[in-house]
Order: sequence, then C-alpha cells, then structure tokens
Amino acid sequence: MMEALSTFWVIHSNLILSLGTNALLALSIWLTLSCGMLAMANAAFMGIGAYTSAILTMQFGWPFPAVILAGMLAPMLAALIIGLPTLRLSGVYLAMATLAFGEVVRIVIINTELLTGGIGGIAGIPTSTEWWHMLLAVVCALFVLWRMRRSKVGRAFEAIREDETAAGLMGINVGANKMLAFILGAALAGLAGTLNAHLTFMIDPKEFGFDRGVEILTMAIFGGIGSLVGPVLGSAIFTLLPTVLSPLADFRLMVNGVVLVLIVLFLPNGIWDPARFKQWFGRKQGART
Amino acid sequence: MLDQQLVNALSLGCVYALFALGFTLIFGVLGVINLAHGAVFMTGAYAAMTVMARFELPLWAGLLFAFAFCGLLGLLIDFLVLRPLRARNAPHLIPMIATIGVAIVLNSAAQGLFGAENQRFPEGAISNDTLQWAGVRITVLELGIILFSFVLMAVLMLALKRTQLGRALRAMAESPKAAYLLGINVEGLFYLTSFAAAALGGVAGVLIGLYSNAMSPLMGQPMLHKGIAVVILGGMGDIRGAMFGGLFLGFAEVLSINYLGSTMRDAVTFGLLFLVLLVRPKGLFGTLQERKV
Amino acid sequence: MRQNFLKSALLAFAATAAFSGAAAAAGTIKVGVAAALTGGAAQYGAAIRNGFELAASEINAGGGINGNKIELVVADEQSKKEEVINVFKRLIFQDKVIMIFGPTLSNSAQASNPVAQAAKTVVFGTSNTADGITAIGDYVFRNSVTEADVLPETIRVAVKNSGIKKVAVFYGNDDVFTKSGYDNFKKALEDLKMPVTTTETFAKGDVDFKAQLTKIKASGADAVVLSALIAEGAPIMVQARQIGLNVPFIGGNGMNSVKIFDLAKGASDNLYVGSPWSASNATPENTKFIKAYTAKYGNAPDQFAAQAYDALHIAAQALKNVKMTGDIGAERAALRNALPDVKWTGATGAFQFRRAHDKAGKPAGFDAQQTPIVSVTKGSVFVIIK
Repeated sequence: MMEALSTFWVIHSNLILSLGTNALLALSIWLTLSCGMLAMANAAFMGIGAYTSAILTMQFGWPFPAVILAGMLAPMLAALIIGLPTLRLSGVYLAMATLAFGEVVRIVIINTELLTGGIGGIAGIPTSTEWWHMLLAVVCALFVLWRMRRSKVGRAFEAIREDETAAGLMGINVGANKMLAFILGAALAGLAGTLNAHLTFMIDPKEFGFDRGVEILTMAIFGGIGSLVGPVLGSAIFTLLPTVLSPLADFRLMVNGVVLVLIVLFLPNGIWDPARFKQWFGRKQGART
Repeated sequence: MLDQQLVNALSLGCVYALFALGFTLIFGVLGVINLAHGAVFMTGAYAAMTVMARFELPLWAGLLFAFAFCGLLGLLIDFLVLRPLRARNAPHLIPMIATIGVAIVLNSAAQGLFGAENQRFPEGAISNDTLQWAGVRITVLELGIILFSFVLMAVLMLALKRTQLGRALRAMAESPKAAYLLGINVEGLFYLTSFAAAALGGVAGVLIGLYSNAMSPLMGQPMLHKGIAVVILGGMGDIRGAMFGGLFLGFAEVLSINYLGSTMRDAVTFGLLFLVLLVRPKGLFGTLQERKV
Repeated sequence: MRQNFLKSALLAFAATAAFSGAAAAAGTIKVGVAAALTGGAAQYGAAIRNGFELAASEINAGGGINGNKIELVVADEQSKKEEVINVFKRLIFQDKVIMIFGPTLSNSAQASNPVAQAAKTVVFGTSNTADGITAIGDYVFRNSVTEADVLPETIRVAVKNSGIKKVAVFYGNDDVFTKSGYDNFKKALEDLKMPVTTTETFAKGDVDFKAQLTKIKASGADAVVLSALIAEGAPIMVQARQIGLNVPFIGGNGMNSVKIFDLAKGASDNLYVGSPWSASNATPENTKFIKAYTAKYGNAPDQFAAQAYDALHIAAQALKNVKMTGDIGAERAALRNALPDVKWTGATGAFQFRRAHDKAGKPAGFDAQQTPIVSVTKGSVFVIIK
C-alpha cells in the first residue's frame, strides 16, 4: 500500500504542487478584489518573480531562501512603481491598464534576450521546490490573510470595497490601503512564480501573458471571493478539471468551457458560498420539524 | 515609401476598427467586456468559408450568411448566458468570465469540426487585382475594408444619434432601470444589440479572414487583444472611438515599424496604451461616461 | 483492492492508477506519444500523430517487432508546461511505456525531458529544433534536423541559383520555432558574409505584414530570408507580391509544406526551402510514405508527419534488439543502448544519430545526421535543385 501511495505521488506530484501555485495566485488576486480593485497584473507579477528568482539561481547561485525573498520583493517593487499612477483608475480601466502593463512586461522579457533568454525562456532551472515549501507557503499565506481580514486593515479593505467615497470620509486612507493590497498581492504572485519556476525546469514569457491573467481571475471568481476558502477551492477545481476530464479527449476543452459557464450562471457567488449552504441546511432542518 | 506606408496604415487601422466596432457596441450598451467576440469573429469566417466552399456561393452570399449565423449565435449567447446574469444584476466581471467559457466552447468546437490546420476561402472568392496609383498599391479587398468600416461607423453613429432606437439605447447605457421606467423595451434592445454586435463580428471575421487567408480556430484571440487595445485607445463603448482608436493603432504600428523597427512595434503600442490610460482613462476620443456600477 | 477502496478513496485511486498500467496485454510494446493535440500548436500535433499512427499500422501489419505489436499511447500535452510534465509522468509511471515520442514544441521539451531523463526513459523528439534540447541528458534523442545544419546549404544554393547579393531578414520573434530559425539564419548569413539590408519581425496571429514588406522592398534586398510558420508565411508571400516585392524567398523548416500552394495560391513561386524531407523527393521510401499517408488521411503529409513516421521506424529497428523481459527498467535501458547505432533510410532519406554535447562539452543526447535537399517552388510543386 505504501508503494501504491508513492507511485501515486510520483505520477501526480506535479499536479498536486500546481494546486499550491494556483492557490497562491488566486489568493493574490483575491487580495486586490477584497479591496474593491480589479487589477489584472498578477500574471505579470508572477513572471517578474519567476524571472528574478530563476536568474538569481542560475546566474548568481543565490541560496534558495534568498531567492524566494527576492522573488517576492522584485514584484512588490514593480507594484509600487506602477501602482502610484494606476491605482487611481477605477473599474474596467484599472483592469485594462494592468493588462497593458502585463503585455509590456512580456515584450520586455522577449527583447532582453541576454538576461532572460528571450522567447526561448530559461531552461534547466534546478528543482529546489519541495512539497513542504509549497504547503508552508500556502498555509502561511492563508494565515496572514486570515489574520488580516480580522484586523483594522481588513476592515478598511472591506469599507473601501463597499464604498470608496464613504470610506474616505470615515478617515480611511484609501490610497495607502489600496497600495498595500496591490503590493501584497504582487508578493503572493511573485512567490507563486518563484516556487513554480523551481518546480518545472523552465520558464518562458508565454506563460505570463493575457491568458494566465484571465485564468487567475477566473479561479478566484469561480471559487467565490466572499471568503478565503473560495479562491483556494476555485483554484483546486480549475487545476484538476482538465485532468479529471481527460478521458473525454477531444471534447475535454469544450466541456471545460461549459462547466465554467454553468457555474457562473447557477452559483452566483462562486462555489464556496456560506450563505447558500446555510440556506440549504436551514431548509433541510425545516423539513424535519 | 512613406505614401505606401500611409495606405498600409489606413487599411490596417480599418481592419482593427472593423473588429472593434462590434466589441465596443456590446460594451457600450450591455456593459459587458465580451471576451467571446474573438471566437464569434472566427465563427463568422468559418461559417462563410463552409457555405461558400460547399455550395459554391459568391462572397456576398458568404457575408450575408456569416451576418445571419453570427447574429443568431449572438442572440443565443445573450439568451442563454447574458440574460440570466442581467436578471440577477451580476457585477460586470461575472458576464466577462462567462464569455471566457463561451469562447472556449466555440474555439474547441471549431477545432473539433474543422481541425487545427489553416484553412482558406475558395479560390476566386475575391478579386486578386491590385490597384496602382502613383506607385502606391492597394488591393480590392483593402479598399473594400476601408470603405465598409467607414460606412459601418457612419451608419451605427447615425442610428444611435438620430433614431428613436438610438435614443432608447443611449438611455439604457445611462441606466437600464430608468430606461425601463420610461417604457423602453429594455430586454428587446439588449437582444438587438447582441444580435447586431455578433453579426458585425461575423462579417469582420469574413473580411479579415480573407485578408490573410490562413484561418485557424484560434484566429480570434490575437484579434481580441488588438480589439481591447483599440477600445481603450478610442474610449470604451464609443462607436466613433472604435474607429479612431483602430486607425490610431494602425498608424502607430505602421509608423513605429517604419521609423523604429518592427521589434519595437508592440512595445510602442502597449506603451501608448498605458500612457493613454494614465492621462485620459476615458480614451483619446471617449465621451461616454463610465457606467455606474 | 476492495479493502483499500473501503479504507480510503484516495488510496484506491492510487492503487488503480498503479495497477492499470501493468495490465498491458501480452505481446504488445507500449510506446508513448506526447503531442499537442489541442491549443496553439495543435496543427503540428495532429500531423505528428498521423505520422506515428501510419508507421505503427505498417509495423504491426508486417508482423510487429519479433512478434510483438506496437501499441501507441497517445496523450495530449496541450503545449502547456504543466500539462506536458503531467503527461510525461503518467506515461512513464502509470502507463509504463518503454519510451516517449514528443513533445511537439521545444519549450515544452525543456520542461518534460528532464523528467524522462531522471526516470531513465528514452525521450525522442520529432519536431524540437531549438538548441540545447539534446544537452539535457543521454536519454534524449531527436530526428528533427536542427536548422543549423540545413540553412547554410539552403542559402548557398539559393544564392547560386538566383544571383543574390544582399538579403533582408524577416522572422516571427514571439515563437521559439521561428526565433531559433532566425538565430541560425543569422549565423549562416554571417558565415557566408552576406550583407543584410534590414531585419524585420512579426508576431504570431498578425494578419497584415505590408508595413514590414514595404520597408524590405525599399531596402533593395535581392531576396527575403523568412523564418516563419505556414500560417504567417503564406500571407507574407501573398502580400509581398501584392505590394510588388517580387524577389525570391528563402524559407526555414516551417515553410516546407505543400500547404503553401493552397494558402498562397498564385503567389507561391520562388520560395527556396531546405530540409532532409521534400514532398518532391521521389525515393521509393518517400513515395511509399506519401502514397500511404494520402490514402489514409485524405491530405498530403508535411515535414512534421514525415519525421514522426520515420522516428517510429527508427525506434522499431532498435526495439528489435531489445529483449522483452517484463522488467520495464531493463527494457528501457536496453533500448537506450540500442538506439544510437540505428541506421535507417526512410521518407526523410538516410538517417543516423550524432552525439550531442552539453554546455560543459560532455557527451549528452543524440541529434540527427542527415543531408538536406534544397528545392524551390514553381507552379505548385517543389522542384529539387541538384
């Protein structure tokens, strides 16, 4: 039985660890969403983290903990720089500006071949990421976010999401709080990028483009952004769905699309929706009495 | 050389504008960023190609078929996906994600039906003649795309400005609820918009499909990215903005290729885009107010 | 098993996953094929799968390998990094294949091939042309000819044939295949001391190339060196002729497809391509391949299909010398040791392996050693230039 388990792990370890990557990514966009911002730069931040870390590992031989730290700090810095002008944009305009930023990052990577390897990417990255790194990263991220939700900062985020103007009148520093959410989100995305880069042997600029940005948003919304469970659950389902559907072969993608539409249609608040659970549970009890 | 490049820029700009017109129409009226518009565009190209090849129809019939087919497809998408979301007043992120699902379904259906290989329209679908004037060359198709996109813009603008229908649509863009209270058939007009936008997307697919004549099931995705750039440049939801945004992008691309080199093209495009968003978030030509969420 | 199931769903899943692989029918040899059947590279993946299936049916119809039938386990790697690793792990540890063909794209190979190398399983690329793939390790093979070997010859023949004095270069810079083609073109042009008037780029999915072509026309080049895939290459040729740029094109591997005659109808003349495989090469092996492929799939094969077809035949030669003991590890190692010595004449002509070296100069995997054929398009056929 132990043997069966270890075979299972050998076959599926990569899939299981990508659950971790995607959970971190979904949480990173959850952070900005929870502060009322639709920022779509997470794929770019992930890329900045992945490239920074891969370059430090490969060309400068930094130890892995230092690499992880740098892989989080670099996107934080980028977030600070682009956040200053863009965060005052609202709604779709912020989304579009951050998507455009992502394209700029992609083009810069393609055109700085000496450092980044251009479109061919960086290959032969040592696989330093262990399963417990990923687990620890997800648990730490969840713990920090959970504490934050209950803190003054978390309440400030919520107030801003509900009504930015009112939050400002209440004495909340809207600009600073938005920036905080944006930078922390970038750190999480960078962490995901760093761990992922040291897991899959190689990175290339295509991974961090428009499609990835949309995918990250989809995972969070899919799971539900009302709580921390939602993004994690959403990312897990989104990661496993293609594998679960793989027996369908050629129809797999189509079914994937249909499932996405159905969930959006019939589960308005995402998959994890405590209010709906309560409603269901309540109804059952009602039937018994 | 510059005169030829200006003609190139004009025709490229009109290609972008043609795609962006339908995309912006949906956003302007329904407030939905329709990420399935690229897939609808592809569907139009494949639909026309199929009937033209199978029944040996001329191009105008193919265009008409694509118009009707994609229009109905747009109606279906609206009825099955967007209408229920409207009914429960979902924030506009949600329909956007639903349209991603729709795009996946359409793209994979096309790949299942037609395979992933590049396809072309039947030979002779359009004249290969090149018109030459003072050393500048332009094809019949390019000329057609330029004329068509300007006419389309004019028609759409007139329809929105001058007719009763247009006034109703504008009222809805301001506030669907208020429009409803004014006795406007809001749902009907949403359907009409979805029909028209998708039908135009289909026609754009045929014309732009002919332009490169190497279609693939994923041909709509790069176009969608350009379309997003165009509507940001021009102002989201604005018909005139889509036209000028398209032209602006076309000229920016061609001129940056000509003077800076083609590796700089996309950097210039997105740099400009970023700049426009920072300085004038409503777009260079945008007049429409942002929808209140 | 049943008890496992009752104990824990997870364990049961693990167990079935582990045992299902061992249930191969006696007398079959499982060979993995990881190809991009959906996603951006699907059109190459489809041709590659066809090539393998054709070769497998031929080998099996001829009695298989020492009486054992070849069973292809085809998996869709979607040309996505994560998926290609998952697919390789499933093929190696779950399906227990003896070797893996694929993946379709070079970047995918950078992610997947270390997995195969670590598991001591032969991975055999039929379409990866980028540098450094075979440097990953000594279990990595490919029969896709890298353009470094082919392009100097193509340019040399084109120059001689068309009196070319200076060229413009045009390539897709957001695709690994076309970008590595460009790198090799650049090197070949430098070696030949050929002046370059201008270097232009395009992106995947572009529909209009006239701005770049107008610039190339104004630069006064005698030929355009083009590293593109057919989806962009065909419209490039059409649009070049439309603006009156009537010089010859010198294409990379991606342009070596009869699809050009369909997509660029009326504008496809005067394109030079060099490759070990040509649709017009009338050797008995190639004629047989083209005939069988066209009969089975209803369309003409391309280079991707030809290389896949040959690859399975090459592997089959090695498999004949592998003793099927049931110990998959020993079988895999035996195959690895038998493969480098294979010599085979197939659709792509005479073939043998050549040892590749990694960055440190140590021997690593194996590249292809073949002679390119240069041909030029004329009236909807490739005409071979002797």
